[in-house]
Amino acid sequence: MDNVNRKWYSGMLTTEDWWAVWIGLFMFLLGLLSLTGVDLVGWMAKTHTWALGHPEKGFATSLSAAGKAYADMSPLASFLVTYAVFTALTCIGAYFMKLNVKKFFVGFTIIFLITWACWVIGHEAHFKATPNQWEKYGITWGLSLGGGFSYLLALAVGLFIGNFMKKFAGFLSEAAKPEWFIKTAIVYLGVKVGLMSMEAASYTFELAAAGAAATFVAYMLFWPIVYTLGRRVFKLPRQWAAVLSSGISVCGVSAAVATGGAIRAKPIIPVMVSMLIVVFAMMELIVLPGLYTTFLSDEPIVAGAAMGMTVKTDGADAAAGAIMDEMMRAKAAQSGIFWQEGWILTSAIMTKIWIDMFIGIWAFVLALIWVYRVERQPGQLHVGASEIWFRFPKFVLGYIIAWFVYVGIAMFLPDLVDAAVVGANTVQSPMRKMMFMLTFVSIGIITDFSKLRGMGRLALLYAIALVVIIAPIALIVAWIFHHGMMPLPA
Amino acid sequence: MKVDVELALVHDGTEWVARNGSVVARGRTLSELDRDLGRALAASGKYRRGARVLVFMGFDNGTIPTWIRQYAAHYFNRYVSIEV
Repeated sequence: MDNVNRKWYSGMLTTEDWWAVWIGLFMFLLGLLSLTGVDLVGWMAKTHTWALGHPEKGFATSLSAAGKAYADMSPLASFLVTYAVFTALTCIGAYFMKLNVKKFFVGFTIIFLITWACWVIGHEAHFKATPNQWEKYGITWGLSLGGGFSYLLALAVGLFIGNFMKKFAGFLSEAAKPEWFIKTAIVYLGVKVGLMSMEAASYTFELAAAGAAATFVAYMLFWPIVYTLGRRVFKLPRQWAAVLSSGISVCGVSAAVATGGAIRAKPIIPVMVSMLIVVFAMMELIVLPGLYTTFLSDEPIVAGAAMGMTVKTDGADAAAGAIMDEMMRAKAAQSGIFWQEGWILTSAIMTKIWIDMFIGIWAFVLALIWVYRVERQPGQLHVGASEIWFRFPKFVLGYIIAWFVYVGIAMFLPDLVDAAVVGANTVQSPMRKMMFMLTFVSIGIITDFSKLRGMGRLALLYAIALVVIIAPIALIVAWIFHHGMMPLPA
Repeated sequence: MKVDVELALVHDGTEWVARNGSVVARGRTLSELDRDLGRALAASGKYRRGARVLVFMGFDNGTIPTWIRQYAAHYFNRYVSIEV
């Protein structure tokens, strides 16, 4: 019974979800110790914009330690400490999750190196710098892609490995855990949202409330429409239609698995649907940030919220939100408008987190309907309310703790805000972004587009539902609840 | 909730299989599984015929493909009252 969720604490040491909480809160606590005047996270390596051949801002300046207390630390030492700390933490997690630790270690090392190579290359001024920065870096032309180029490059490299170097991808898959990495990043994002709340508490909570309302409304529309389409038009069996509807309407793979469990479907059903979701989420990640940046740059928060309701895995949604945050800010900067980093991403994450939290309740309701109305088997006693807890996304706890602790500091210990920010800035920026970059590489590695083969009817339904139902409704609902909200100026 | 029997539940691709150290039951559907469990409990000799036994079936999440576990680490658990 080792792998059975029996007690409330089951899985605390054996699931990626909980390990995102542990690693996230561990770094959050280390960062928080800056309240005592000690910076225990400033060793973290941080990338800087650099220009090829520039005498002062050349490649040598592309990395440094993040904390002022570590100003004397060499970039190489900072990088090696970063590697050692995160490799150790993730390998400990891998051990408890019963992964092949040796294979994980080698795989993680390779993914880590690819990640940092993409990150540093993406910070070259010709790719990253906006026109107002060209003079500073001694360049006369550039793509002005902002930090988004690093993300796109990491994604492209990951996808290349996942689709053209499949044996290598298979080897790396032990360590390619985009959901684990992104959930850890979201805990770190809680620190950032906490800092943002210090500056604009009411706006942050307004964003959270609007996200909750939008998610609820979208939820009520998505599922019944897709289910009806699946049953009536595509003639899918009831179980397939329910699992697919949840997967595409709610929160992707976790919703498909939760619904499969709720309606007691054979595990092959959510597994097949999950393969579809992962591939389509990648397509959304590739298409939507550019599309929304082109057509919705005057409503960036609407675009973020719509992204959160449309892209169906945490990894792909956060990744798409991060790319769009960079692209929209870079586009605005070209018009002389400068927004703070993170608000667009946060709007994408807010709606997604609400969706993630609702799935436990939705699966519970669905289980009640299925057990008592659809199947009506004699002897079935009840559906345990513990099912809600087992399906609750635990990383959200880390996110909320990190967020509210910093809000608490701002409210009750205002004199300590400056000290708190020292550690928080390292956790919420370079550390969070590194976890995002690891997610980009990993999500590419595990995405194999050839898996769509043989999925004909299901894939067609998914595509139609996504383009005709989910994306437009998400956009309309996001606009209703978020229009007029803008990122704060930088 | 206090139960009489705890079983780990898996699906082997064809059938649901519920087992612990002393009882194994199978079925293509959960209804068939429950019926077979009644037979298996009777065969174990621990319960008298006609008795109702409260059974907990916890899905063995270790059988979920590794790549999916990072997205969702819980399938479902069941509480069933079985007539032996």
